[in-house]
Amino acid sequence: MKPHPFLLAATFVASVASVSSAQAPDPTEAEYYRITTLPTPAGTALEVGSIDLLPEGKLALGTRRGEVWLVSNAQTAGAAVWNNESQVFEAESPSQPQAAYQRFAEGQHELLGVTWKDGWLYATNRYELLRRKDQDGDGKADLFETVSAKWGVSGDYHEYTFGSRFDKNGDLWALCCLTGSFSSKVPFRGWALRIKPDGTMVPTCSGVRSPGGVGFDADGEVYYTDNQGPWHGSCTLQHLVPGSFQGHPGGNDWYALAPNMGPRPQDPMDKSRMVVEREKVKELVPPAVYMVHGRIGNSSSAIVCDQSEGKFGPFQKQLFVTDQSHSSISRVCLETVNGVKQGAVIPFLKGLKSGPIGARMGADGKFFVGGSDRGWGARGGKPFAFERVEWTGKVPFEIHEMRAKPDGFELTFTEPVDPNTAASPESYSFREFTYIYQSAYGSPEVDDVIPKIEKIEIGADGKSVRIKLDKLTKGHVHEVHMDGVRSKGGRPVLHPVAYYTLNEIPAK
Amino acid sequence: MIRLRSLLVPSLLAGLASPLLAQAPAKISLRTLSAQMKFDLAELRVQPGAKVRLTFENPDDLPHNVVFCDPGTDLEKLVLKMLEKPEEAMKANFLPEDPKVWLKSRLLNPHEKQELEFTAPSKPGAYPYVCTFPGHAATMRGVLKVLGEGPKLQDLKFAVYHGAWTKLPDFKSLTPHRQGEVGDNRIALNFDDYKNQYGVVFTGKLEVPESGEYTFSLAGDDGARLLIDGRQVLADDGVHPSRLVEAKHKLRKGTVSVRVEYFQAEGGADLYVGWAGDRFATTAFSKWTPPDWNKPPGQKTDEFTGLPLEPKAAPIIYRNFIAESGNRGIGVGFPGGFNFSWNAESQSLGLLWRGAFMDAARHWKNRGGGAQPPAGFDVLRPAALSAAPLAVLADADGPWPEVVNGDVPAGYTWKGYRLDRAGVPSFLYSWNGVEVEDRIVAEGAKVLGGRLVIPARSEMEITYSWDSVPVVPSR
Repeated sequence: MKPHPFLLAATFVASVASVSSAQAPDPTEAEYYRITTLPTPAGTALEVGSIDLLPEGKLALGTRRGEVWLVSNAQTAGAAVWNNESQVFEAESPSQPQAAYQRFAEGQHELLGVTWKDGWLYATNRYELLRRKDQDGDGKADLFETVSAKWGVSGDYHEYTFGSRFDKNGDLWALCCLTGSFSSKVPFRGWALRIKPDGTMVPTCSGVRSPGGVGFDADGEVYYTDNQGPWHGSCTLQHLVPGSFQGHPGGNDWYALAPNMGPRPQDPMDKSRMVVEREKVKELVPPAVYMVHGRIGNSSSAIVCDQSEGKFGPFQKQLFVTDQSHSSISRVCLETVNGVKQGAVIPFLKGLKSGPIGARMGADGKFFVGGSDRGWGARGGKPFAFERVEWTGKVPFEIHEMRAKPDGFELTFTEPVDPNTAASPESYSFREFTYIYQSAYGSPEVDDVIPKIEKIEIGADGKSVRIKLDKLTKGHVHEVHMDGVRSKGGRPVLHPVAYYTLNEIPAK
Repeated sequence: MIRLRSLLVPSLLAGLASPLLAQAPAKISLRTLSAQMKFDLAELRVQPGAKVRLTFENPDDLPHNVVFCDPGTDLEKLVLKMLEKPEEAMKANFLPEDPKVWLKSRLLNPHEKQELEFTAPSKPGAYPYVCTFPGHAATMRGVLKVLGEGPKLQDLKFAVYHGAWTKLPDFKSLTPHRQGEVGDNRIALNFDDYKNQYGVVFTGKLEVPESGEYTFSLAGDDGARLLIDGRQVLADDGVHPSRLVEAKHKLRKGTVSVRVEYFQAEGGADLYVGWAGDRFATTAFSKWTPPDWNKPPGQKTDEFTGLPLEPKAAPIIYRNFIAESGNRGIGVGFPGGFNFSWNAESQSLGLLWRGAFMDAARHWKNRGGGAQPPAGFDVLRPAALSAAPLAVLADADGPWPEVVNGDVPAGYTWKGYRLDRAGVPSFLYSWNGVEVEDRIVAEGAKVLGGRLVIPARSEMEITYSWDSVPVVPSR
C-alpha cells in the first residue's frame, strides 16, 4: 500500500515544523554551490538543447527552436530575472557584467547536440549531423554541410536525436530516440550510432529507448541517460559499450542493416528482472546506475564530467547528471566490477529555473546548464533558462564516493567523520530493491530486502567508513540513508542518501 | 515500502521556496482593424474590481478612441448627444463628457498606442465600449463583461485505477486501486506514485445557482469525459495532447452530481474541467488550466497558431516537418511574400505559396510532432518536380520514377546547403556521385526561376524558368 499523497503532504508539514523549531537550520546547498540565472536574448525562447565550449571562452548553445547562439562573457555575467512582459530573462542591473549573444545560425530542426572543431560548428538535428561554418566572416554561418544523414525520421515527435562531443577516437555519437515509446518505424531509431570523421556511420549499440543526453567519463568512456518507460523501470545512466544491447528491443529489427553488430540478440523475456535476463542475453549491458524514479528525478538528461581538477569542489572526475522534470542535478560516482560499470547516485543541487537539457563544464569549473520545460513540464516553472553553477569554495559535508565490497560498502566522505555517529548502526538505514524488467511502461520498486548492518569500521584516514551487511543482492539498487552521521565538526551530511546499483558483487 | 522522512522533506522545502508573486494587473488588449471600422474584439472579460491594464492600439489610417460605458447605455444616443454641440465636441476630441462614461482613451491618431490602467467595476455586468469619433459608433463597439467566479465542486472524491488503456474503460466494472477524498475540492492529477497507465474517476456535487444554459469545458491528456447526473455532457476520448472542448448544457436550479472520468496512457498528463454561466465567468474545477481556457468564444487560439515566422530583411529558413515536403522539409520564406518548401529527401520542391510564410506554433508550443501546412495562400504543388530531379530512364519516353513522401530515392545523398550574402539558400546534393547545386531565386512575391548547376559538367548546366513549369493549384 502506498500512502495517500494528501496525507503524506500533511505529514511533511508536521515534520518540517518540528525540525525547524528543534534544530539549527540545515546547511543549505546554496552555501556551497551558487546558481546564477543568466540573461537570454530578446525576441527568442532560448530553449537550450545543448552546450559546448568554444575557443576563447565563448559558448555555443544549440536550441530546440533550431538556433545556434554564441555567447561571450557567460563566465562572468551577472544574474537575470524573468520579465513577464518580454518573456525573457533580463539582467538585474545594467552596471553588472553582461553576456553578449550572437546568433550564428537558425532554422535547424531541434538541436540537441552542438560541438566545435577546426572552425566548424557541428550540430545534430533530428535526422542528420551537420557542420556549419562562417565563410564570409559576417558572424553568421553560411555553409551547412551534411556529415551524415544515415538514420531515419518518420515525423513522430518522439524521434529526437541527441549528439555528443567528439569522443577519444574523434568520432561523434548520435543517440536516436525510438518512434514513440515502443517501436522503431525507420532505420536506427532506438540505436546509438557513431559518425566517423569521414562521415561513415557505424551502428554501435542497440536497445536505446528515449535518451536525454550523452557524455563521457574522465577516461572517455561513453554514457547516455535513458528515461522511464517500456523496459525501463526508472531513468538510468547507461554505459555505451560498442556492440551492446541497452535493453529495449523495439529497434532490434535494424540488426538486418548492421552486419558489424552480428546477429540480432534474443529478445528479453517480459516481466522479468535485469539480473536474470543478463544471464540469457549476452549482449545486454545493465544500466550502470538507476536514477531512482521519483526521488533522484523523473527525466534524466545531460551528463557532465568534472575535469576541472578541483575548481568545482571535491568531486573530481565524477559525473553530474541533470533532470529535466525535477530541475535538478545529481551526482554519480562509478567503478568497474567484473568488467561492468556500476555505482551510486546522490542528490546534488536543485532549484534550476527550467527543465535542464544541455550542460557543459569548463576547465575553470564553471558549470553551464540550460533547457526548457516544453512538452513535459519542469519544477523550475519557467519556459526556458540558461544558468551557471559555481562552487563557492566551501566544502560541503557530503558522501564523496560509495564503493561495493564483497560483503557491503565503503563510503568515503568529503571531511573526517565524527567516529561516534559514523560507527553507529543507528545512524544508517539500508534497503535493497529492483525494478520489473518489462514491456509495460515503468515499474514499481519490487523485491525489497532489508539487510542488517553487521559491522562498521572507520578507516585510518577518518573519512572512510566500511559497512558490512548480512546480505547483498546482485542486480538490486542498494539505498542507504545516513541521517545520523555527523562530521567531526558536528555537521549532518548535506545529502544523506545514496542509491548504489549493484550489477556485480566484487570478489575482493 | 519504506519511506524515510528525510527523503520527503527536501521536495517540500523546494515547493515552499518558490516566490509568491505579487498581484499583477490583468492584461487585456484591444486594436482597431485596419480599414474595417471595427475593433478586433467584440468582447473583453475582466473580474469584478480587478486591476486591469488595457493596451489600446490603432493601426488603422483613421483616428479612433475607445469609451467604456455603464450597462444598458444607448451608444447611438451618447454620440448624438455629444454632437449636439459640435464645436465643443471637436475641442474635446470627440470624447463625450457623460455620467454614463467611466473610462475613455485619448483620441488616437493613426498608428498610435495607449496604455490605460483602471479598476474594473465591482458590479458584474455587460459594459459596452464604443468609438465615439463621428460615424464610427454603428460598427465600432463591443462589450466588456465583468464577471466573477461561479460555484465550484463540493464533496469531491477520487478513485484511482491501474491499467494500460488507449480509450476510457468502463470504470464501473473495475475495482479502484485506492480512493479517498480530495481535501481542497479541486481536480488535480497529483498521484505522485503513478505517472503512467492509470485512470481516475472524480465525483462531486455542484450547486446550480439558477435554471438556465451553462457552458462546460474540458481538456484532457489523455482521454476524459464529464457526466452530470449520470448523463454525458462532454467527452474527448483516446490518447492525445490536451485540447479544449466545450458544450452547452441546460440545468435546473439545485444540486447536481458531477462525474469526471480520465485516463493517462504515458507521457504528459493534464486534466481540466470548468463551466461558465450568464452571470459568472469560466470557473475551473481543476488546478491545472489549459491556455486560453477563460477567453471568450472566438478568441481561443489553438496550439497550432500564434508563432508566425515573418521574413523581414533576409529569407527565413525553417527546417521542420512541413506538409507534403517529406520528413526532412526545409521551408524558405522570402521578404515580400514568396515562399517555398524543399524536400531534402527527393531533392525537389515541396510546395510554393504566397503571403504569410509559416506558423511555428505546432512545433514550438508542444513536443514538436506533426506536419505544418503553409500559412499563406495560393499554395501550388509543382507536381512535375515532386519526383527526384535526375533519373536514368530505360528509354526517353519511359516513366519518371516516383518517390513516396518520406523516402530517400536511391542514388541521392543530401549534402546540405549554402547561403549567399542575401541569405538565399542553394541546396547541395549528390546523385550517383554527381555533385549538384539547386537554387531557387525570388524577387518580391514573384518567382524568377530555379537553377540546377552541375559544376563538373558545365555543359549540363540547366536554367529553367518558372513559367514553363506545370503547376497544379492546391485543393
